Amino acid sequence: MNKKYIFSTLLMIVVLTLSACGPTTTATPLATQPPAPTGIPTPVPPRVLKIANTATFTTWDPVKSFSTEAAYMGNMYEQLLRINPPGSAEKYTPLLATSWETSADSLVWTFHLRPNVKFHDGESLTAEAVKLSIEAAKDHAGASFIWAYALDTIEVVDDLTVKFNLFYAAPLDLIASSLYGAWIISPKALAAVAADPNYFEAGLEAGTGPYMLESYTPDQEVVFQRFDDYWGGWQAGQFDTVLVEIVGEALTQQQMLEGGEVDLVTRMPEENYAAFKTNPDYNYYEEQTFFNYVGFFNTLRPPLDNPAVRQALSYAIPYQDIITVGVTGKGTQSRGPVPQGVWPWSDQVNQYTYDLTKARELLATAGYPDGGFSLNLTYASENDIEAAFAPLIKDSFAQLGVDVTIEPMLWSQQWEASKSDPANAQDIFLLLYWPTYSDAGSDNLWSMFYYTEYPFFNLSYWNNPDFNALVDEAIATTVTDPAISQAKYIEAMNLLVDQAAGLFFMDVKYTYIVPKYLEGFEYNLNYPFTQYFFYQLRTTR
Amino acid sequence: MLRKLEFVLRRLLTSLFVLVGVSVITFFLSRVVPNNAAALYIGPRARPEDIQRVSIQLGLDKPLPVQYTIYMRDLLHGDLGTSIGTKRPVLQEILDRAPATLELLFTGMFLATMLGVPLGVLSARWQGKPLDVAVRAISIVGVSMPAFFLGLMLQIIFFRNLDWLPLAGRISNDLRFTNPLETITHFLVLDALLTRNWIALKDAAIHLVLPAITLAAYPIGLIARMTRAAMLEVLEQDYIRTARAYGIRDVIITYLYALKNAISPTLTVIGLTIAFALTGTFFVEIIFNWPGLGQFTVRSLLNIDYPAIMGITLFGAAAYVVINLVVDILQAWIDPRISLK
Repeated sequence: MNKKYIFSTLLMIVVLTLSACGPTTTATPLATQPPAPTGIPTPVPPRVLKIANTATFTTWDPVKSFSTEAAYMGNMYEQLLRINPPGSAEKYTPLLATSWETSADSLVWTFHLRPNVKFHDGESLTAEAVKLSIEAAKDHAGASFIWAYALDTIEVVDDLTVKFNLFYAAPLDLIASSLYGAWIISPKALAAVAADPNYFEAGLEAGTGPYMLESYTPDQEVVFQRFDDYWGGWQAGQFDTVLVEIVGEALTQQQMLEGGEVDLVTRMPEENYAAFKTNPDYNYYEEQTFFNYVGFFNTLRPPLDNPAVRQALSYAIPYQDIITVGVTGKGTQSRGPVPQGVWPWSDQVNQYTYDLTKARELLATAGYPDGGFSLNLTYASENDIEAAFAPLIKDSFAQLGVDVTIEPMLWSQQWEASKSDPANAQDIFLLLYWPTYSDAGSDNLWSMFYYTEYPFFNLSYWNNPDFNALVDEAIATTVTDPAISQAKYIEAMNLLVDQAAGLFFMDVKYTYIVPKYLEGFEYNLNYPFTQYFFYQLRTTR
Repeated sequence: MLRKLEFVLRRLLTSLFVLVGVSVITFFLSRVVPNNAAALYIGPRARPEDIQRVSIQLGLDKPLPVQYTIYMRDLLHGDLGTSIGTKRPVLQEILDRAPATLELLFTGMFLATMLGVPLGVLSARWQGKPLDVAVRAISIVGVSMPAFFLGLMLQIIFFRNLDWLPLAGRISNDLRFTNPLETITHFLVLDALLTRNWIALKDAAIHLVLPAITLAAYPIGLIARMTRAAMLEVLEQDYIRTARAYGIRDVIITYLYALKNAISPTLTVIGLTIAFALTGTFFVEIIFNWPGLGQFTVRSLLNIDYPAIMGITLFGAAAYVVINLVVDILQAWIDPRISLK
């Protein structure tokens, strides 16, 4: 009786548990399906690329897009030009423009458009579509500022020729190849947006790119289908369908890759990448990125209003330890706020070294021989890397007698606190930064250290007329005389480093793991959020 | 019957007050957190005049009580506002994700009840014996093991080492090419049943196993312990001894007589645990990349997306209230000694 009683209860438990288990392969493979009757062609299974990506959509509107959705936008939309990775034979790959020229003073740029290009909604690419797209970007893009200062008017010369008139000689080729605010959009969709600003947010797209959106399930998956009428045509080995699973967890992504559930991932635990270096099934890429870590000293408040104090603290940063602890050694010490590989980076820009003796000397000359002051440092609590290296700063400064209080805050709160009342804001603000397009002179340098009444990203609140003048001159000559421009930028950066308005920790490297059966992967530093251009990829399977 | 109806109506009215209270607290708390919602909405590069424009557009320039009144007015019209993060209606965001969360929640709690109650009964029936010790040990492990650790362990064992169960997600992506599932209710197991898509049914079911076990681990322990304690008390009652003296079969005494009287406190715990598990589901969802409300909630919190936070909180509070109401009614139905007053 009792045995039966126990047995029946346990059996119920076991059956309930096991009933749901089974082999993981559930879908009937197409290859094992019964053959089709003679005379009826067997359907060819689609060639599917599977990717695990952390990126979600904050907007579907290509004009407003200024965030992680860039991972996908670059496969559905195209700019006039695409800037190639550093070291390429040609600086640009023509996309929707086949050629372009500038006037002698570089104030007029004329682009000749590719003929017979179709948007996914059937509309044709015309100069009018380009004009409307860029005007929309200038007026209300998330990255409207890339056009706003330089662009005066746009003229439609003929159906396939468009002319940009500028206020000053800006590098329009660079701007037109931006990851944000430079997509060319179907005029029909732009008209729909004019009537309903949330038109795209239903999950729509209207680009010319090689892939069209098939479906989107929030936080779950994005499915793309190849655009048969793509102007570039299609070749063997390219993918018909791209299935992106949105996976936030790095370890889950790694397990999916190793378990064969996906072909590509975008993020794995940093410490686990090394194992792939020697794995014969994968190619391992470690690449420079657009990203760097900077710190802002609050130059409005004593003692940080004293350059000697800032210099002393710059000498007290353990740069190599920060790189080791923060990014497991995958980085290089920054030379100013411009990341390596991006214009106008230069190895002629000075760096501080970790030198506590020098730091003490400088503090003594500034009137703080034993330190004796306190600072508060804020960082974005979402950022694991900043969380990892902030204590190193505290420990090192403590050796100078400087007490640092670390305040992790949500990024939005850190941002708001720094903007609302600068004079009473943080002493040190840690920031991960990247330029909007491939010009870190007019972006990183200008955005972070050029003084404006309402601080953009200038969270040092630093106001140095010499620096501002140098940056102005450099920006004005970027197109007309790049050598002069670079010299001015170098001078500006050395002034900035010397005055130590900020801390320049590290330029970050990223790792990509690509299975050997996938060919065509080409890392492009200029598009940091579009990790994979699907059109480039081919399978040998 | 009338008393029961009156009870339900009274509880519904009380619940309404609870929900209003929750809305007031959440609304004001989310607004006193130092941040600028308009600046968040428009992005970090916004110019001051753009932030001002968006402030007016979102009604943030008005006094807080006025903002709250507008929010509640819109809420009554089914409008929970627009998410700052996704720029989509919050209600739509919740409706898109809630089925996945609820499917996991119901499966996990079904599993917890189906395992927890029998384990508690067995444990009580064999008090002090090895079986009891084993069940108590399982309970303690279940209650004390963090979900993220258990989930990870299950993934390593059943996906990586044994390759028996899928790692993450709700359904295999391959199915879209071989056996696409037509969604009707957005509860995938139910949809697969309704459309008789057996391959999709099996696939959706095996995807549920690991997250459901992870979610159920804590409630199993809790329910087992609660059932055991209640059963021990009931099994000492005179009427049980009398039943045994009459030679009634042990299974009948235990499950029919004793369990019926012991289930009431367990039911209360189950109700509370379901409500608690709703938020626990969010963690499990992140571990198993389950496309429910979890990821959306975390993102909303990190971005101080206050319309989304409000919407999710109200959804959670409403679920809590409804579950507790159902439990109260069930208790009264099972145990007539409990008054509906």
